Amino acid sequence: MKRYLLMLVGLGVLFGLGGAVWASKPGVLTIWADDTRAPILAELGERFSAEYGIPVEVHELPFGDIRDRLVIAAPAGEGPDIIIGPHDWIGELIADGLLEPIPFLEEKKDQFVPVSIEAFTWGEKIYGLPYLTEAIGIIYNKDLVPQPPRTYTELIAIASALTDPEAGRYGFLTHVPQPDPYHSFPFLTAFGGYIFGLDEEGVLDPCDIGLDSEGAIMGAHLILELITSGLVPAGTDYGVMTGLFNEGVVGMILTGPWAVADIRAAGIPYGIAVLPTVAGRPMRPFLGVHGFMVSAFSANKALAMFFLEEFIATRDTMLALYEADPRNPAFLPALEVVSAEPDVAAWAANAALGIPMPAIPEMAAVWAAWGDAIKLIVTQEMAPEDALRAAADHIRELIGCK
Amino acid sequence: MPAPTCIVMIARLGKIIVLGTTDAIGVWAAVGLFSSRSWAPLTCLLAGLGVLNFVLLSKRAYPLRYILPGLIPFALMVAYPIIYNMSIAFTNYGTGNRLTKDQVIAHFENMYYLPEGSERFAYQAFRDADGNLALLLVSKDGGELYLALDEVLRPVDAGDPRFVYEGEEIVRIDGYHQLSRREVVRLLGKLQGVSLRRGEDTIRLVSLNEFAVYRRSYRYDQERDVLVDLRTGVEYTPVQGTFTSSTGETLQPGFVAWVGFQNFYDIITNPRVTGPFFRVFRWTFLWALLSVVLTFALGLGLAILLNDPYLELRHVYRTILILPYAIPGFISIMVWAGLLNVDFGVVNRILRSLVGVTIPWFHDGFWARVGVLLVNLWLGYPYMMIVSLGALQSIPQELYEAARVDGANRWQRFWKITLPLLLISVAPLLVGSFAFNFNNFNVIYLLTGGGPPIPGAQTLAGQTDILISYTYKLAFGGAGAQYGFASAISLIIFLIIGTISALNFRFTRRLEQMSGGL
Repeated sequence: MKRYLLMLVGLGVLFGLGGAVWASKPGVLTIWADDTRAPILAELGERFSAEYGIPVEVHELPFGDIRDRLVIAAPAGEGPDIIIGPHDWIGELIADGLLEPIPFLEEKKDQFVPVSIEAFTWGEKIYGLPYLTEAIGIIYNKDLVPQPPRTYTELIAIASALTDPEAGRYGFLTHVPQPDPYHSFPFLTAFGGYIFGLDEEGVLDPCDIGLDSEGAIMGAHLILELITSGLVPAGTDYGVMTGLFNEGVVGMILTGPWAVADIRAAGIPYGIAVLPTVAGRPMRPFLGVHGFMVSAFSANKALAMFFLEEFIATRDTMLALYEADPRNPAFLPALEVVSAEPDVAAWAANAALGIPMPAIPEMAAVWAAWGDAIKLIVTQEMAPEDALRAAADHIRELIGCK
Repeated sequence: MPAPTCIVMIARLGKIIVLGTTDAIGVWAAVGLFSSRSWAPLTCLLAGLGVLNFVLLSKRAYPLRYILPGLIPFALMVAYPIIYNMSIAFTNYGTGNRLTKDQVIAHFENMYYLPEGSERFAYQAFRDADGNLALLLVSKDGGELYLALDEVLRPVDAGDPRFVYEGEEIVRIDGYHQLSRREVVRLLGKLQGVSLRRGEDTIRLVSLNEFAVYRRSYRYDQERDVLVDLRTGVEYTPVQGTFTSSTGETLQPGFVAWVGFQNFYDIITNPRVTGPFFRVFRWTFLWALLSVVLTFALGLGLAILLNDPYLELRHVYRTILILPYAIPGFISIMVWAGLLNVDFGVVNRILRSLVGVTIPWFHDGFWARVGVLLVNLWLGYPYMMIVSLGALQSIPQELYEAARVDGANRWQRFWKITLPLLLISVAPLLVGSFAFNFNNFNVIYLLTGGGPPIPGAQTLAGQTDILISYTYKLAFGGAGAQYGFASAISLIIFLIIGTISALNFRFTRRLEQMSGGL
């Protein structure tokens, strides 16, 4: 008897699993968010429910799972109404037919940091309501570097004076050689290098690849010089870089706001500086923008749009989101309120230099080939020009642009 | 004997009640599925119920009661994923082709656009006692009033006798009363589906506060299987899962389509896949073979030492030596990646202070391969040690005594007695270990990510890439995720491993026959 019962329970569980648990239901707003945003959204959702009598369900998923599950759950009718994620997801999600454009943003564009709207624009439509921007900059230890460098020459001078590997002290560390293409981007842009060019309509052209442009090659030489001059050991990875910085033996590091929480916890007197200029031109980082997106398979599109327009795109909500996760607001009225804080001002200055990370699905090919090129450059297996040309050719072939 | 009979009766009754209830619930669910036209779940449900009844009611099916609880998980967890994987290999499933054709057609048919200078309307919503909706629209261009009691929008006069005013505002129309903003918000789900007609125009909700004249962007012609762009008149026909115009313009998103052997054809004819294939294959084979040989050699050596009854504290040693097995592989691999760091790793620091040289782990192709093999040795020897410890116990001590009497030395005893007898029981495990390491994605991916890259070679494959990590890069390192392509390669890998394993087992069997004659 027990056996049958167990079997029945098993069958029941199996059938039960088929049923949607987190699905978009008419009349209930379902939101998928990661652990940094789910708690505050649940709180905001309750406020919305109290005002309009519409239940809001917030489900917490690991950051990467939000996209990975959406692509499977949404077409099966089990996806959410709204997701929160970075703008570089949109290329793939739109190609998959999973995102709904957000028309009201056309009229409210000027309330957001302009480049954040640009990041969520695809074709002629806007597919996400931006709420935070992030870009990398120079984080420095005020004890070791009283005055942050304005130019790259100054940075190298400060770094050379401080660096003493025997004593375990470093002036400037970056995990670019790891390889980390994302963090190497400012070096490439300093001389006008780029990843994808724009076509006549102002849309990214996946066949105009600038990884082997003159500027990108000159930038790669800068990276190589960091290694050959002994300033940055080739084995520096993110863990080593932040670990040493938090021990107080590193003058400057090149990274983003995500490192700050640990630095604060370690009690390092840190400051954030704008990326230095190289021969008068700025080093421009990648800009990441996070925002709210509406699923094309939502059963509550109009309600979701209303929620975003009337409830999320407001100063109070944006400030509450900032309190929960202090990264720079993309909503100008909220940004103005917090811009007196030195960190916010410094990150905003870096973000203002930023170029939105390309959102096209072809970036997967770029990251891989670009990373390989950096590795070959820093291990001095290949000269920067050869490595980058090979990488660019390889990307063209992968994307099918030959 | 009344008591057992009674128990049997109760058991039988219980069975009938439980089965009857299950069937009743099943039939109830089936009716629901039938009415919602979910054919696939319905078929599964009916088949499941049929099998359940057959197994529990038929005398002939009695043995199935014991086998079925095992077979069901097997079918779900093993057979289904394999069959699914194989079927995916013949489709274009991946980024840009994730939806079904019906979903894609619905996607395009539901696309509307606001024409240049589209007429916009403010609106008020009304509801009567039965819950029927009425919409009163005011054109923002001319201020004309329109009323919609059904799907048709009719012009009305502001002085219409049905309107009840309260100041400037119309608060009631006939039996309908005006809805508050809060009520309208709750009705948004319904309003978003409302599509009003006014002559040729379609009027739909744009935002909480507005309706506007929309035009449909696409129309699907079912008979000719073409999608027509209503703005330009261009016709798109489906080509391998993507709507394509005669000039080659394509529409996103595409749908999942059966593409036959296209993926396999792509693999064979694409020089970027086949070019590094043999290079990667050679290293994969070497990697799997060396991993097995090295872990087995170390594991066996330690097992023989630990098996020595004169060794003191051997329980302590054994516990310590099994430790790498107890730590999750993920963590060990990450720790090793740190230990082998070229500049900051402990291994190189020690080497530098002792002999003054450092090893370019993970920066140089050869040393990266040595590195991954070393880490895999660390991860894999405890398993081999445990297995060998067990197998050593099964070798009769008399054989060794006889050998000693015959004057065989330690070395001869190992090669002539221990190893052949051990291999009988361990060889199948070695074959299994080979197949496991052949596809040991974790170690390669977490430790080197397949790197370092091969200088000058325009390929995704790095110096330590094995077939499975290379497949991963091919499938996810181009433009988005190409599951169809990845499944096709994994099928090919499956064939390779299958062949190697079959040959290995044949060899093993011969080994057994040989030792059988010993």
